[in-house]
Amino acid sequence: MDWECCWDRDAVAPGDCPNIGEGDEDLLESPRRRILEKCCDCPNFKRDLERFQASGHPMGPVFSLIHDEYRRQKIHIQSLISFLDNKSLEIRFLHELGSVLQSSVDLEEVLSVALTAITAGRGFGMNRAFLLMTDHKLDHLQGYLAIGPRNYEEAHQVWDEIAHNDMDLQTLAQSFRKNKLTAERVKFHDILEQISVPLSNTTHILVKALDGKHPLLIENAYHHPDVDPEFARLLGVDTFLLMPLVSRNRRVGMIIADNCITHRHITAEDMHSLETFTFPVAFAIERASLYERLQEELNRVTEAHTKLKVQQELIVRMEKMALVGRITSSIAHSIRNPLMIIGGFARSMLKNTPPGDPKRNFIESIVGEARQLEGVLDEILNYSDSLYPTKDFWDINQLVETALRDSADTLRARGYDCTFTAGSELPPAYIDFKQVSYCLRTIIQCDLNGTGHERLIDINTSRENGTIVIRIQDHGQYISQEEMDAIMVPFSSTQEMGAGLGLALCKTMLEKQGIPLNAQTAREYGIIFTILLPIRKEEQQ
Amino acid sequence: MSRLLVVDDEANIRLLYAEELAEEGYDVVTAAGSAEAVEKLQEGVFDLAVLDIKLKNESGIDLLQKLVKERHDMPVILCSAFSCYKDDFSAWLADGYVVKSGDLSELKQEIARVLAKKAQRQKAGL
Repeated sequence: MDWECCWDRDAVAPGDCPNIGEGDEDLLESPRRRILEKCCDCPNFKRDLERFQASGHPMGPVFSLIHDEYRRQKIHIQSLISFLDNKSLEIRFLHELGSVLQSSVDLEEVLSVALTAITAGRGFGMNRAFLLMTDHKLDHLQGYLAIGPRNYEEAHQVWDEIAHNDMDLQTLAQSFRKNKLTAERVKFHDILEQISVPLSNTTHILVKALDGKHPLLIENAYHHPDVDPEFARLLGVDTFLLMPLVSRNRRVGMIIADNCITHRHITAEDMHSLETFTFPVAFAIERASLYERLQEELNRVTEAHTKLKVQQELIVRMEKMALVGRITSSIAHSIRNPLMIIGGFARSMLKNTPPGDPKRNFIESIVGEARQLEGVLDEILNYSDSLYPTKDFWDINQLVETALRDSADTLRARGYDCTFTAGSELPPAYIDFKQVSYCLRTIIQCDLNGTGHERLIDINTSRENGTIVIRIQDHGQYISQEEMDAIMVPFSSTQEMGAGLGLALCKTMLEKQGIPLNAQTAREYGIIFTILLPIRKEEQQ
Repeated sequence: MSRLLVVDDEANIRLLYAEELAEEGYDVVTAAGSAEAVEKLQEGVFDLAVLDIKLKNESGIDLLQKLVKERHDMPVILCSAFSCYKDDFSAWLADGYVVKSGDLSELKQEIARVLAKKAQRQKAGL
């Protein structure tokens, strides 16, 4: 019998078998493989079998039967291979996903990976995904994040973009987080903000699915007996998948996925794959949330520790300062009295010594030196006072009035007038009364070699930007801004200007309390001093 | 002639005050501490008292409070080595405050001012 097919030949020449093409050349001389791989599916071979069966040979039907069964098994094996290939891909994908999820404690990264995995073509390939998170304080399930296109145009644009950039899942998620996370939040804000379901509402489909702990495929949502039509309208799809995120019996949240663009049917296989995926996602989200909370607590503890350390150092410093203060004041007291007696009696003697008496010069020297020592003592005492301020809330207008009253004699002696405009309804300021009072008196009484342009001081108080401002304008004095800045430097040489340590000490004292003191020469003439007093305690920390 | 009571634990200061204030025309009586001051106050009437804040182991502020309570018609001027007491609450009870100095002119001015004020008050019948 002449056979149409080449199955009976040990070797065939290229072109003799229409089924052997480029790349299959090794089959030309391998009859066994050629029969199994090519001849069994060849129409020539089938016709040869039919002719053999028609020849009446008793093996004819058997060969046909074996051939049919072989073909059926081959198709079955191919489908199994395809199934295994798919499963292998899925396992690889889940492994990749698991690696990313397990290695991250960053909530945003976890969410980006999870939502990208659901919507990526090489992932679960859903069109759109919403993530709802459980707010345990409010006991609500709330819209948190969403990903996916909102219309066909956007969908094609995004999918084209993804197709052109061959990225693995982690890279895709990183790119999403970096470039699109915020935009996607804004894009779906209108829907997300409306999804807020109390966990106590057990009739709501979301809470039902969450309590059921298994994925739920909702079809015909607009007419589904368990779905609120408003909720279906909000999502704008008829079919969607609910995937509860539960970790150790703790309700973490929910993922809603749909194919709003392609309308591809969501299969049981899809549901099964996604169910496998939701467990690590729920666990990763919970872990990331816990880590975030832990981080917050850690920051709080670190901050408290730092504050405590600062406070401890402050206490030690205060104790040292208090000791310095006590020693200084004790020494000062011991010196002040003898100095006063020396100076006092010297003055008495001077009064009773006639002008021509040679002893008069000596006595005058004693009086002068004693006066100078008293001045030094005053400055030391004031400085030691400034080391440990005692703060409380005080009425600033009253403070200014007291300082003015105390300075009245000095101002009168210098021929000065003074006006005070008190700000209305000023809140109390948190200050050391004694020190600020001293500073005010010093500023009001300071004499910087004024030329007596206009012997007037204007003082006003006001509330500006959360602080109380005391503004003192001395119209009768003028020095350059450079000289003024030099005066404000503590312990700088200012003797030639006649101000001593006073203003610099004031600046130091006030700065120790966190109170800025500015001195500026006025545009026309005079000097303007500005003191900004805090209202609240926190402002000084 | 106004009668002044000067209370200070330093003998030389008491002497200085007594001489200088007498020269100004005041009748000056001195006391070294609270107990002596109270004793002197019981013996006679004073127009004004000058008190030191630190009196050895006593406090001039305590004596000030006692005087304000029992002799509210007698003004008191506090005299101290510490300027910080000027802004102390308890020192605000006094009619005047002077930081100790070899130059007694501030003290003398303050005494004159407080006595004049007292005279005005008396004149007004307060």
